[in-house]
Amino acid sequence: MVDQEGRMKEEKKGIIAINVDLNCTLMCESCEKFFKCKNPERLKIFDRRRMAKAKETMAKIKYKIAICAGKGGVGKSTVTVNMAAALAMKGRKVAILDQDLDGPCIPRMLGLLGKKLNMGRKGIIPVEGLLGIKVISMSLIRGEDDTTTWFHELRRNATEEFIAHVDYGELDYLLVDLPPGTSSDAVNIMEYIPDLDGTVVVTNPTWVSQIVARRATLMALEGGVNVLGVVENMSGFVCPGCSEVHYLMKKGGGERVAEELEVPFLGRIPLDPVISKLSDGGTPYVYEFPESEPAKAMFNIVNQIVNQVEELVGLWKDKDNIAGV
Amino acid sequence: MNEINDINIDLSCTEKCEGCEKYFDCNMPQKDRLLVQVRMQRARKALAQVKHKIISVGGKGGVGKTLCAVNIAAALAMKGRKVGILDQVFDGPCVPRMLGVERKGMEYTEEGLVPTEAILGIKVASMGLILGEDEVVTWFHEMKRNATEELICHVLWGELDYLIVDVPAGTSSDTVNVIQYIPDMDGATVVTVPSEVSQAVAYKAVVLLQKANIPVFGVFENQGTFTCPTCGLQTDILQSGGGLRIAGKTDVPFIGSIPLDQRVAECADDGTPVVYKHPESEAGQIFIKAAELIEKRCGMA
Repeated sequence: MVDQEGRMKEEKKGIIAINVDLNCTLMCESCEKFFKCKNPERLKIFDRRRMAKAKETMAKIKYKIAICAGKGGVGKSTVTVNMAAALAMKGRKVAILDQDLDGPCIPRMLGLLGKKLNMGRKGIIPVEGLLGIKVISMSLIRGEDDTTTWFHELRRNATEEFIAHVDYGELDYLLVDLPPGTSSDAVNIMEYIPDLDGTVVVTNPTWVSQIVARRATLMALEGGVNVLGVVENMSGFVCPGCSEVHYLMKKGGGERVAEELEVPFLGRIPLDPVISKLSDGGTPYVYEFPESEPAKAMFNIVNQIVNQVEELVGLWKDKDNIAGV
Repeated sequence: MNEINDINIDLSCTEKCEGCEKYFDCNMPQKDRLLVQVRMQRARKALAQVKHKIISVGGKGGVGKTLCAVNIAAALAMKGRKVGILDQVFDGPCVPRMLGVERKGMEYTEEGLVPTEAILGIKVASMGLILGEDEVVTWFHEMKRNATEELICHVLWGELDYLIVDVPAGTSSDTVNVIQYIPDMDGATVVTVPSEVSQAVAYKAVVLLQKANIPVFGVFENQGTFTCPTCGLQTDILQSGGGLRIAGKTDVPFIGSIPLDQRVAECADDGTPVVYKHPESEAGQIFIKAAELIEKRCGMA
């Protein structure tokens, strides 16, 4: 643009997007836009050998649920571990797949630090923890000081290894604990487990966390995965001195996300010093203190999930048996 | 039955250092060739007028990396320094919200992208200024590298005293990319919450920094002791001492423990750094101390 005196005038324009690429190479397997794409060609990847193997292993597991958040440190792993324990306490056979390859925490939270995965005849044998919960995690392979700096392809390989080549056996539930973010690891899981029964979105009450949780929820919806609901973690703290409730990270963020995106709100779990201590110690709080407030909240959430998932599939006919803890 | 010791082992070398996962583990001299490539040169040129570059890491998510980045930037700006923040989080960027500029967007001119100015004149470049609220990023490595390049090479950072880089959780793509593009990073701050789980992950991040020869200036502990405003009782909701422990283990200074305080969350959501709004609070004091430490380590004090 030129102004009246003939000088170039500085022109500013708003940026709408970066990294725009509309090409299609039909390499659907490693495509970033897999879940946004409408081309039916993309579905061919499920016929490939590696995907077929994953399907075979996953077929033996009745229900598969991913725990996601988008944001980090909101309690995905804590929720996963306690959800697994609550399900196991209800008599379900449960396994956890720790999809966090950079900073895996599940083994520590279940007291399995130092244990190692073994290779059996039928594949990798998961390590069994409390209540018979089977665990697959990077930290059951690598040491504490080993840093993982993998980019996409190696992450996909590891996911494939953990899904297709593990001897999970017959299971009722597989809980997948996703790392923060909505890229590689989340996409990989959705590709390798196309029959995922749903995701549980964890958020803390702050606005900052919500804007990220919202993206994670949208991502699942975009990929055609059922969203079982939103859990608000770190919600309120009861002072042991005066019993007053303090909302250290505010309140109501989870409900707002659930309402806006029209998915169920499953409940809120309060802050409690016991949670952190037991997580480090390797025991789920629902198991150690089933009467505590966080545990009650968790049982309530798990009941809702069980009702949704098992009713949906209709394999558990005796519903009354499930409802009571 | 055989114990599994590692997976994804690949010892071959294709000399494509740019896309190599083992870049910082590698000792081969060829890897230095990466630094003379055109794009890396361009990054150096774009940041030529930036005196010091500091990265805020945590390894684990949600421990307060962004909170620290934003408040360090504000504390330095309050000392009269010219500061910029590069938000390297593409999937869930929070810097714009924490500085109250999330609706401002980013603009470009013929010369390049114009960073958006926030409170205290802090210049921000972030995906959060470009993406809509409902847009989800599902990029893999190459796309993330492109975006990193875009936000480093094509942004008109201009003359700055400090550029603070905020990286997402994890130790892979985004962290590796930014360390490759800014090989002369002055230093890093590490954040952890007191729990053991968080420290174990933070330690992995410190190991990566050491491999990349980036000195760690100090360790923050976030979400520390909570003091009840009604009865004054102190509770360690997420336990205590984690920050001190990792500082001791890695032999770096411990800056301080940021208490769990409603004001911290409120300020983050409102878009005003806590150090600016409540400089007298414990959290504010710690960030002022951190800024002093950084000034000293960068030779600006």
